[in-house]
Amino acid sequence: MRKSQRRRLSAVLRYVVLSLWTLVAFFPIYWMVSTSFKPDTQWFSWPPVYFPDPPTLSNYLNVWFGAEEYTTTQYSISSQKPFISLGNSTVIASISTFLAVLFGSVIAYGVSRYRILSEVRMFQLLMLRMIPPIVVVAPLSLYYSAIGLLDTMTGLIMIYFITSLPYAVWMMKSFIDEVPREIEQAAEILGASRWRTVFEIVLPLVRSGLVATFLFILILTWSEYLLALIITKTQVSTLPIELSKYQGSTEGRVYGRQAALAVGITIPLMIAGLIIRKHLARGFSFGMVRR
Amino acid sequence: MTKFNVSRRTFMEGGVGFTVANLLPGTTPLAFAATMEERTIAAAKTVGAADVSGMIWSPYLVPMQPVIADFKKATGIGVGAVQDISIFDTPQRAMAEALSRSPQFDFIHIDSNMIPSLASAGYLEPLDEYMKKADFKIDAVGDYAKFMTYKGQTYGIPTDGNVHIQYVRKDLIEDPDNKKRYADKHGKELKFPETWEDEFRIQQTLMDPAKDLYGSGSLRNRANGPTWWYMMFYSAGGFTFDDDMNATLNTPAGQYAVDIYLQEKKVAHPESAGWGTPQMIPRIAQGHVVTAQYWDGTARLNENPAKSKTTGKWLYGLVPGSDFSGKRIHRSISSPLAALLVNKYSPRKAQAAYLALWLGSGKNSIPIVSDPVNTFNDAWAKEHMTSELVQKAYSPAGIKAIEANFQVVSPPTYLTGYLEFQDTLGKNLSEAYVGQLPAKDVLKKTDEEWNAIVRRIGRTKLKEELASYKALMPKRNVPA
Amino acid sequence: MSVAAVPAAQVQALPSTRELSRRRAITRFRWSILGPLIALLVFVLMPVLFLQLYFSLHQWTVYLGTWWDAEYVGLELFQEVLTDPRFGWAVVRSLSFATGSTIGCFLIGFALAYLMYKPFRGQAFYYIIFILPMLTVPVVVAYTAEMMLYQSGPLNDLITRIIGIEFKPAWLTNPHIALPTVMLLEIWNWAPFSFIIMLAGLTAIPKEPIEAAEILGASKWRIFWEVQLPLLRPVIFLALVLRFLEAMAEFPKTWALLQGGPGTATETLPVYIFLTTWQYFQISKGAAMSYIVMLLMVVIVLFAIRLLRREKRSLDTMYAKAAARPQELA
Repeated sequence: MRKSQRRRLSAVLRYVVLSLWTLVAFFPIYWMVSTSFKPDTQWFSWPPVYFPDPPTLSNYLNVWFGAEEYTTTQYSISSQKPFISLGNSTVIASISTFLAVLFGSVIAYGVSRYRILSEVRMFQLLMLRMIPPIVVVAPLSLYYSAIGLLDTMTGLIMIYFITSLPYAVWMMKSFIDEVPREIEQAAEILGASRWRTVFEIVLPLVRSGLVATFLFILILTWSEYLLALIITKTQVSTLPIELSKYQGSTEGRVYGRQAALAVGITIPLMIAGLIIRKHLARGFSFGMVRR
Repeated sequence: MTKFNVSRRTFMEGGVGFTVANLLPGTTPLAFAATMEERTIAAAKTVGAADVSGMIWSPYLVPMQPVIADFKKATGIGVGAVQDISIFDTPQRAMAEALSRSPQFDFIHIDSNMIPSLASAGYLEPLDEYMKKADFKIDAVGDYAKFMTYKGQTYGIPTDGNVHIQYVRKDLIEDPDNKKRYADKHGKELKFPETWEDEFRIQQTLMDPAKDLYGSGSLRNRANGPTWWYMMFYSAGGFTFDDDMNATLNTPAGQYAVDIYLQEKKVAHPESAGWGTPQMIPRIAQGHVVTAQYWDGTARLNENPAKSKTTGKWLYGLVPGSDFSGKRIHRSISSPLAALLVNKYSPRKAQAAYLALWLGSGKNSIPIVSDPVNTFNDAWAKEHMTSELVQKAYSPAGIKAIEANFQVVSPPTYLTGYLEFQDTLGKNLSEAYVGQLPAKDVLKKTDEEWNAIVRRIGRTKLKEELASYKALMPKRNVPA
Repeated sequence: MSVAAVPAAQVQALPSTRELSRRRAITRFRWSILGPLIALLVFVLMPVLFLQLYFSLHQWTVYLGTWWDAEYVGLELFQEVLTDPRFGWAVVRSLSFATGSTIGCFLIGFALAYLMYKPFRGQAFYYIIFILPMLTVPVVVAYTAEMMLYQSGPLNDLITRIIGIEFKPAWLTNPHIALPTVMLLEIWNWAPFSFIIMLAGLTAIPKEPIEAAEILGASKWRIFWEVQLPLLRPVIFLALVLRFLEAMAEFPKTWALLQGGPGTATETLPVYIFLTTWQYFQISKGAAMSYIVMLLMVVIVLFAIRLLRREKRSLDTMYAKAAARPQELA
């Protein structure tokens, strides 16, 4: 009797704590989304307006489609073209991620089966990710400008590829490690080359792992800011840069517009994250978590 | 809309002028074209059509677009891809361009105080040749055209005067209750402030935080703070360097300016330490401040009833001065003074140069500086002061204030290394404003840091530049 | 690159021709994978690091000339950086920012994971909500924070309504709380990361030892300290190390929100390097600073790698043993 009471109490307590954190975790996101639907008088007011009244799509129309007739008292303009940035972001993030996953899974296969990188090297590979980008960004931009990669998608793709490779290798290794070797050995005896084995047998077996790794790295490249800030100019722009430009390009606080852009930037990421939510731990755990 | 008509006619005449010029080869044909605008078109046609790309903030670009479109029709020279970044960010990005000697941008629209740095880095194309070919003159109010020169050459065409003027809430200082309250407290009449001390007293007396009304709307953040400090410093008779390029901020005049600068904390919004233009302009226009020094374009915003709650409630005038030096000195400031600069490494520099001239003629820039919605380009040419369109946008009182302030307008540190000088000062002032640094240490520290910058850039080099800087300082202490 | 360990079984017997050709094939395979990787590092990373080294030894005043005729100054720039009090403060700020946010992320992540690792109704819902902050772009976090944190903004308003007393900190303009504000944002943003890892770790703990301890009558507290926590050690280290390293490099939020201000209250290492390089154009000083930070980070990373390897080893042995004799562990 006492025990069941205690159990119920602890269950209630758990719900209370979890719900509290739900509020904390959700409120900023709610605020961003609700602000994006607010008319301009409610963005920055005292007392704050918690629910858009009435909800309006004008922020979205203005930011994404440049519909100027929707502006009233606050004026904001920008010659930014978010759809072009959206396109750039999509191309840059998906190509660099694709390359990192492709290359990363081959390396991961080599490490998993033939130890082509020792454990020390595997950890050293992590340094590519762990050194803060700020320390290389100045010479990188000069080097890029010398070889003509500044303000190009290729330049950003290359650097994103390099920095996301470690995660790709580690994550794919954890998936490949789980594939039994017998199948490959059978293929090898039948005379298949290692490359064929990788692409035709192993990778199809870890399909879900590939998807998870892909989306995981996509999340990282999609939101990268510092490198993009330095490397992009006119020809290329990614969405986070687009948003930060929007910040200053007004004569007043245009929170609603910013929020409308921010929502557009965040949604793809959240979708990606929710699809692979079960696998997120693998990306970060470097084989430290067994299942 | 009238501005289209004006420009279209210009374009027609320009075409005619060019035809005439073609008939007389060998002479200086362009001089035959009647107006400066036509001569610019004629000269531009000789360099061929191109779309130039540049770095420009969209609030500045948008009102220029119809004027650019006219030029494109007349000469084939238009604007292609632009990097749309804030005028406060362009100096950094332009320096990055300069040091990689990139030909990517043909023009940059930037604070003209960057001219010494960018010219030293070899990035800027002198515009004198182009101006000569088109017989072009920067017809600015007062000595303002000098702000475009460095070591005797012209490097920029202004698009935005950006002079600071004084804003005072008319309804508040003319309110009888306030007048009485002020007279009782200070034994003086409540009227438009003439000195910093007056202004502070007015701010203190009239502010009412309970009603979200604060005394001051001037900026005190790290990026913009120095702009205000310079006005106080110069008006106290101070100057930044001695003839041997030793920093001379840490002087009685400097300390006086710091004290004036910091006392504002008592009358400004508690968050002012972090506020820049995006936060402060709405505060001014929506009626939450009593007085401010601010860029003149804000007058246009204030007088636009669609965007402002304070239309007709403002007095505009000369920024406060000081008696500190023994005589009354007023010093306004123009920073960032937005101007079009041309990249020397660009293959389309001639096209960019002529486009800049086109945008910088008094007549063509009238629609640009009087746009009531995009209020970033502010009046600067003599022609603007008499234009009806401009008068309407700023209100006649606003225009009068602009003219007055232009007569005492001064630059911030107009030297190579401007960004470093500016941010060191800004950082130290900001630290003092938020209480991280004692007020008495601000200038001592800044002097040390400035002297280090001088050593690094080279004392001899900077001494050569000092004349260009000093030439920009106004001759008058009080406007005529 | 070191040669991979050869499985013991292959060394004993004399290699047959078939075996030899297999090994050659593996070597080929190995280099055809590693070749491009090395080429990439040589052609992209090496020039960058060499340039950085060049700049840190040559004083390049950008207004005076091109970078290739910069003056050689030896270690002068390093000396300048190391005696620069602003740099010292930036180090202090970065370290405290990283430490504070790492601990915050860990405590919250661990607490949430501990409450959630056993299945219960609504688990999936909470999981989804809890990982959302991590899926928000850092720049978006910064701007959303700006929308919420002004003095009369929704956060202060909500707290005032809840506690009933006026609550009005100036989150972004008070120099004493600006850095902690960014720290809170970092924790909000990345607590999900610790949460996910800890949750995976807790779920992966084999049930047998806990059940055994329960049968022996151990209290929940003792089970936690003596069974669960030791088994979680590797995961905890991982969460701490990765968070710390990422927090040291945090730039987007600090920059987009405060650019180092008010005063210099949020001038962390990345912000100071950014200012020095891209605002003052003291490229050389920035390079020297970068090298020092890089060395600092390499030391931290190497230490972290040692730690992680040790933990991974012990984990590997433990699981190997468990696989060999499952009953013993239980």
